[in-house]
Amino acid sequence: MPENEEYKEVGKSEFRSHCIALCLSKKAVLRLMFATDERDTDNCFKIYAVFSEQGRDMFHIPFFRLREDDLTFRSITDGIPAAHWYEREIMDMFGLVPKYHPDQRRLVFHDSFPANSHPLRKDWTISEKDLNEWGKGVAKKVPHDFLKVEGEGVYEIPVGPIHAGIIEPGHFRFSAVGETILYLEPRMFYTHKGIEKHFEGMSFQEGVRLSERVSGTSTFSHSVAYCMAVERMAGINVTEKAQATRTLLLELERLYNHIGDIGFLCAGTGFTVGNATGSKIKEMLMLLNDRLTKSRYLRGVNTIGGVTMDILLHTTDISLTIDTVAKEYKNLMKLLLGTVSHIERLENAGRLSKETVMKLGVTGIAAKASGIEDDIRRSHPHLIYNKIFDAATFTRQDGDVLARMMARAEEAECSMHMIKTIVEVQYEGDLQVKADDIPPNSHALGYTETPRGSLFYWVKSDGKGRPSRVKLRSPSYCNWPAVPFAAQGNIVPDFPLCNKSFNLSYSGCNM
Amino acid sequence: MWLNLLKNLITRKEAIRFYKSKTQTPANREAETLFSGEGKMNRVFGKSLKIRQVDAGSCNACEWECTALTNPIYDIQRFGIDFVASPRHADVLLVTGPVSRQMELALKKTYLAMPDPKIVITCGDCSNDGGVFRGSYAVTDGVGNVIPVDYHIPGCPPSPTTITRKLLKLMEKI
Repeated sequence: MPENEEYKEVGKSEFRSHCIALCLSKKAVLRLMFATDERDTDNCFKIYAVFSEQGRDMFHIPFFRLREDDLTFRSITDGIPAAHWYEREIMDMFGLVPKYHPDQRRLVFHDSFPANSHPLRKDWTISEKDLNEWGKGVAKKVPHDFLKVEGEGVYEIPVGPIHAGIIEPGHFRFSAVGETILYLEPRMFYTHKGIEKHFEGMSFQEGVRLSERVSGTSTFSHSVAYCMAVERMAGINVTEKAQATRTLLLELERLYNHIGDIGFLCAGTGFTVGNATGSKIKEMLMLLNDRLTKSRYLRGVNTIGGVTMDILLHTTDISLTIDTVAKEYKNLMKLLLGTVSHIERLENAGRLSKETVMKLGVTGIAAKASGIEDDIRRSHPHLIYNKIFDAATFTRQDGDVLARMMARAEEAECSMHMIKTIVEVQYEGDLQVKADDIPPNSHALGYTETPRGSLFYWVKSDGKGRPSRVKLRSPSYCNWPAVPFAAQGNIVPDFPLCNKSFNLSYSGCNM
Repeated sequence: MWLNLLKNLITRKEAIRFYKSKTQTPANREAETLFSGEGKMNRVFGKSLKIRQVDAGSCNACEWECTALTNPIYDIQRFGIDFVASPRHADVLLVTGPVSRQMELALKKTYLAMPDPKIVITCGDCSNDGGVFRGSYAVTDGVGNVIPVDYHIPGCPPSPTTITRKLLKLMEKI
């Protein structure tokens, strides 16, 4: 059992008060909430909530049992709003009903998915007919009602799931007066691929490939968090060299994402030169990735027990490319910050308040831009971050699109600095250690900071050492509910800009 | 696939014949002097491929590679290839992802909204047979199970260079 995880079983009725007490006394943040089907071993379902303590490297994980005779539990959403999506997901996936949850609609499944069908239960089956009807999408088995905004001059704008540009699918329902957005309701999960269930059908080693394909631009972070969870569960200590390689590639991934995002924001304001320059610098980093790992998205590097290739052989290439990128990046920032028409659009657009961030458990760049220092590299040091992460904080107070851009810019600079630090040092050890059999009936957390925010994996093995439950929580999952709050009060044409400033993954959120 | 390509070829020849028969107005006579001969007309109008991209459950890597095609390094517009906003304007439907069940209907509707003749290209390994997601309850294991597919670009994800090469090869054929 890893040292910084503290499991505590509580009674079903005390769970809510226990969680709220954790939030109040230890200033803990809800990171993850999920259920497991343990009816074959313990004859019950279990619901876990993972809280991370502020200022201390400790995860508090209270859990409770649910017997099959009463599959309802008291919702904690009214006390901890960050739990609202998790509880709805548990309802969809396991059929465990959160009583007094303010929103009893489905989250994951759309109208044509059959009622009372819960895929993550171990004994779940679905008929071919139901599957086909689900795909056809014609039968409205459980209708989904969008919230209706009424009043003089209020009208609705439905957008999606397929958008005009080359982006992922999702539906947005705007209620607007004139140009101003009164209310926005996103409908997600169009790209739901049943990844958590799919993990259960493969071995832990095969799962690495799947974790790399959860979210394209966070490929490496996902595989690091997944491998870390399995390694912590199996008690495998990865060598320093493998840890340094992982840290290096994590930072390279962060860098290409941030620079690409800063450039891509210009597409929202029609500033073509900025967009072109940003994408050019991003491409330089993608080509570096390709030279280092034969994959532009850093796929195929991670494996359980370490890494498959020696990236640290290419230190000269890395530092030369980073030098060029740093120079071009400085020019880009000078150009962007010197263009009044661009910066004026970003200022005051998509403002997200500090209170909303704290209540919804928003993570990553969006939290940092609203004045909350949320960085799992600092609060729960892993890999070699405790040696290279300096004390700089990237927080901004304004919470608008400009603040998110500047938070990205500062983090990108810090990443370049870290990459240079990593390649200067020699590291000892093999690339990978032998991953022995996975111990049966054990579980552990894996986590890291993706370019978008904190990412968690929780894995559990069954009696034969095969995966029995893999829960993943990408940063997009807890940041999507915050986007409507940022969009509220803005004009409809500014929504793409707000959306781009978060740059969330649909696939990572929809799993 | 061949049938579709052939259909496209016939339609184009018909279009040229139609153009030639309508050269009565002064403007058309002007155009005829400018683009005399079939070869020249093809040179002017022929190099154009408008793509509507649809993400049917991909991990977003293929989308970013398609976005990269329009950056100053690959600049795919110089070949007459471009991404359009509406299926009504498109010659090609470029589909990525294994087709999640919740995207099946939207994909079909997009396909039906496109004018004939249309070409469907799948991009990325999972769009061919489901790839790493094959067998999951929420995917249909490939675009071919939902709409007819003409052409496939392999890779996970295919690099912008691969996509450009494959698209140019396709343009040579049609």
